[in-house]
Amino acid sequence: MRTMLNIANYEVRHILKDRVAFAIVFLAPLFFAFLMGSVYYSAAINDVPFALVDLDNSLASREVADYFSTGQHFKINPEIDTCEKMEKAMREGIIRGGIVVPEDFSKKLARKQSTEVLVVYDASNLLWGYNIRKFAYEGMDEFNRRYAAAYLQSMGMHPAQSDEVLNLVNCSIMTWYNPTYSYINFLYAGVIFIILHQLGLLGVTLTIPREKEGNTWIHYLASPLERWQIIFGKSLPYIIAGFFNYALLLWFAHHFILLKIEGSILLIALLGFLYTCAIIFLGFFISLYAENSLQISRYLILLSIPIFMISGYTWPRYRIPGIIIAISELTPFTWMAEAFRKVTIKNLGFPDIAYNVLGLSIMIVIGLALSGTFRKDREPIAEDKIRVNGGPEYPRRV
Amino acid sequence: MLRLFYAFFRREFTYIWRDRGLRVVLLVMPLLSLLLFGLAYRAQVLTDIPTAIADLDRSAQSRALASDIKQAENLDVVAYYNSYEEIKRAIEKGEVVVGVVIPEKFGQQQELRRPTRVAMIIDGSNMVYAINASVAVLQVVRTIEVKSGVKVLLAQGEHMKDAMNALMAVNIVDEPWFNPTINYAFFLVLGLVLNIWQQCCTLLSAMTIIGETGTRSWVHLKSSSRSLFIIFLAKILAHLVIFMATVAVLYGLCFEVLHLPLRCDFGKLMLFTMGFAVAMHSLGTLVSSFSRTAADASRIVMAIAVPAFVLSGFSWPLEAMPQILAQVVKWLPQTGFFQGVIFLSMKDASWAYMSQYYFQFLLFALVAYALTAVIFRLVPQKTS
Amino acid sequence: MKNTGDKEVVISIRGLVQKVGKRTVLKGVDLDLYRGECLGVFGLRGTGKTTLLHAALGVDRIKSGTIEILGQNIAKNQAYKKKMGLVTQQPSLFADLNVAENLDLFRVIKKAPFERLEDVIQRLQLEDYLRETLPSLQVGVYQRVALACALLNRPEILIIDEIIRDIDLESRSVILQVLEAYLEEGNSCLCGFSNMEHVHYLDRVAWLDDGMVKIYSPDEAENIWKELNAVIPKKRGEQDA
Repeated sequence: MRTMLNIANYEVRHILKDRVAFAIVFLAPLFFAFLMGSVYYSAAINDVPFALVDLDNSLASREVADYFSTGQHFKINPEIDTCEKMEKAMREGIIRGGIVVPEDFSKKLARKQSTEVLVVYDASNLLWGYNIRKFAYEGMDEFNRRYAAAYLQSMGMHPAQSDEVLNLVNCSIMTWYNPTYSYINFLYAGVIFIILHQLGLLGVTLTIPREKEGNTWIHYLASPLERWQIIFGKSLPYIIAGFFNYALLLWFAHHFILLKIEGSILLIALLGFLYTCAIIFLGFFISLYAENSLQISRYLILLSIPIFMISGYTWPRYRIPGIIIAISELTPFTWMAEAFRKVTIKNLGFPDIAYNVLGLSIMIVIGLALSGTFRKDREPIAEDKIRVNGGPEYPRRV
Repeated sequence: MLRLFYAFFRREFTYIWRDRGLRVVLLVMPLLSLLLFGLAYRAQVLTDIPTAIADLDRSAQSRALASDIKQAENLDVVAYYNSYEEIKRAIEKGEVVVGVVIPEKFGQQQELRRPTRVAMIIDGSNMVYAINASVAVLQVVRTIEVKSGVKVLLAQGEHMKDAMNALMAVNIVDEPWFNPTINYAFFLVLGLVLNIWQQCCTLLSAMTIIGETGTRSWVHLKSSSRSLFIIFLAKILAHLVIFMATVAVLYGLCFEVLHLPLRCDFGKLMLFTMGFAVAMHSLGTLVSSFSRTAADASRIVMAIAVPAFVLSGFSWPLEAMPQILAQVVKWLPQTGFFQGVIFLSMKDASWAYMSQYYFQFLLFALVAYALTAVIFRLVPQKTS
Repeated sequence: MKNTGDKEVVISIRGLVQKVGKRTVLKGVDLDLYRGECLGVFGLRGTGKTTLLHAALGVDRIKSGTIEILGQNIAKNQAYKKKMGLVTQQPSLFADLNVAENLDLFRVIKKAPFERLEDVIQRLQLEDYLRETLPSLQVGVYQRVALACALLNRPEILIIDEIIRDIDLESRSVILQVLEAYLEEGNSCLCGFSNMEHVHYLDRVAWLDDGMVKIYSPDEAENIWKELNAVIPKKRGEQDA
């Protein structure tokens, strides 16, 4: 035990003396969380650059226009007033959507015929597309309600009576968990976990290549140390730092980026501990068999966005083919991101994340078992093969 | 001079081939990512939002209401429950995204023309679903409310058509442009794949300077009388050839096999991509000139290239970012590339429009290569 | 250094075959190291000196053969590692730590008691260097630190590779004194060397050539070396190759 703590102590010193390792373990997580947090800080897509093409130019059509120009959803570009201009502006991204009120709009309304307005939106980016579509439908719904009430009253109905007609079936639409439709609540926790995942792995995977590149690994092999002493001693600082970063980033996210975090603190802590351990032991295993830190850096960082995208965290999981899901379940991220959403956004208890806790625990056991496979001897280092940047050597300017 | 150029141009390919990591990164990773993302977004359109109905009334009226919901576009009723609790559980577990609760005595109240509340619950935790669900629910709600309103008006002797029009005066015709089927794969797959491609290429460009100056053989080059400019130019051109060859394969697969939309001329797209490739390469080269080791260079360029995808406004719009951030990231070559590639491939943007991006790439590359040249002279290189 | 008479075998190597990559470097080496002796493994560059030493220590996996250390087969039990010390040919101390930190970390790795630190520091006269960083050390002092680290656990067997090649005379004399005292205490030493000048510090020489070992006395080895050099009259001798 003491030996293990001593090894951990020196691992900390290695980290502190290695600028890159220090940055990866202590600075980078918060920096990237800050960077990504500022990207999503507005949480919603508002002020959509929008065109209002009013071909009717009547009182009624201006009323429709009002629904789009007031409020924070749309930002009307006043220069665009014809369909041609709108089309060009759409193509150049000056506006992302528009509404066209037809020429006969007020005439049809007056004749009590139903009429149509055209809503166009840029679907090449569906974040624009989906949001504009939603805003437009909400706006027109509101318009229709008011119009109907006014109409019925003009027919001589009492306001209470017209209300009765319109609200006979009163559907109340409730959006649970994220009523403000905040993209922060949807995305940001996942972003934090991918940052912790990748930087956690990157940090711990440096540990053995550092020894091999410095030619010091031979002393560990020649030593009477038990394997578990090496594994735990070298992992411990990364686990502590990882958990610290987990807490720090969540605190930052909650207080500064306004990420919704509800649910039991105990569960959140448990998840964080399991997540960190799963990452670190997996990383230790990679570290043992990696060729050198150049190659690890290349592969690991490349995987960041794929791990996020295929995990089912954004695109609904059951729409993703089983094989991809199976691959995504090889990473702690998939298990963690899902469980965390359940606890903090949906405020669910342990039974609902028991499966994820089990998954993460199994990953820890597997990571440890794999880490324990290393032998305290090595293949003699061959130098008769032409290999660029293989083995402990890669270009360095010292 | 040409011979020197050619010798180093060829050597670069040998070098990359023998670096197993680079070989895998350049040949396998982009294709693997294409496979991964292509499969993940195979269900391209999010229709059929899983919906559950709890009919607590079981009257003729409530059944009629349930059948209206069943017929709604985009809502897929997958379960019927008997209590609010069950609906709540199903939403908690994520089994359904929309839950409808028809209250007890619904039919009776309708008969008496008393307003009754029907609860429509949307799970807001996944926005991709929630936004679509909210529109689908809004539409069905309109239909239901109009239907019931019309009934009342009819009973009061209103003419049917007038009644309908009164309650639903304005209809929306919605037209998604550039991606008429609202296909998620069209939106994401090309960008995601190109993102992996640009990261892979960035890794190669991070070797440009340190890959030479960090090796023992550097002393020979440095002490030789041959032009270092020609040598590095040969390397850069070799890298660009590799970038363009890999992206050509990816484009081919994306447009021919996955049938992603390509509305512009292919040559135009390739030219634009090359503009980006030069700018991206200059960034990698710049980093490789001051990094201590190749691993450091790789990490630094990736610390830029990975967030650059998110920062580029490819998914989360630049307009929704804080102004100051949007102004800064505008100068990253990735921002111009991911914006421009969508404008080109989906909207066939004009030369005039695209010229701003070409200008950015050119400016970026000039500055970065010039800085590289300065740093190269300032930083002491390995000599032992 | 004298040969002790009792001839207890501490390392016994039988039929050691070792391949590095595709090349068979050791082709069936038999070698015994006796208690209290200093056995030098001589070979020019690339003959497999280091390969043999690392195999004997048990850090490199071997193709075939058996190695017994202190009566135990090293493939089956690693308890022997407590009684081994190692100084490598390539620098292998922790370059990011200073001398004192290196000594302390080696104490941890070798599970040696704290009190040993003082002893080795004093023996190798490192008192003035404790705060120094490794890159700032002279080669000779670096080797003293390396030897100090190796001796922390009071090893019975020391494996050292080219420890006194090309180092300053002061450090050489410190190291040789320490080694002499170490052998006096009944310990053994297996060391790689490539400079015949140092042959007389040794008890026996294991001459490594073409993957095989022949045992000579220091005098024999020196004579053979001279004969070999005489055959290449016009070229410079490769004494220090």
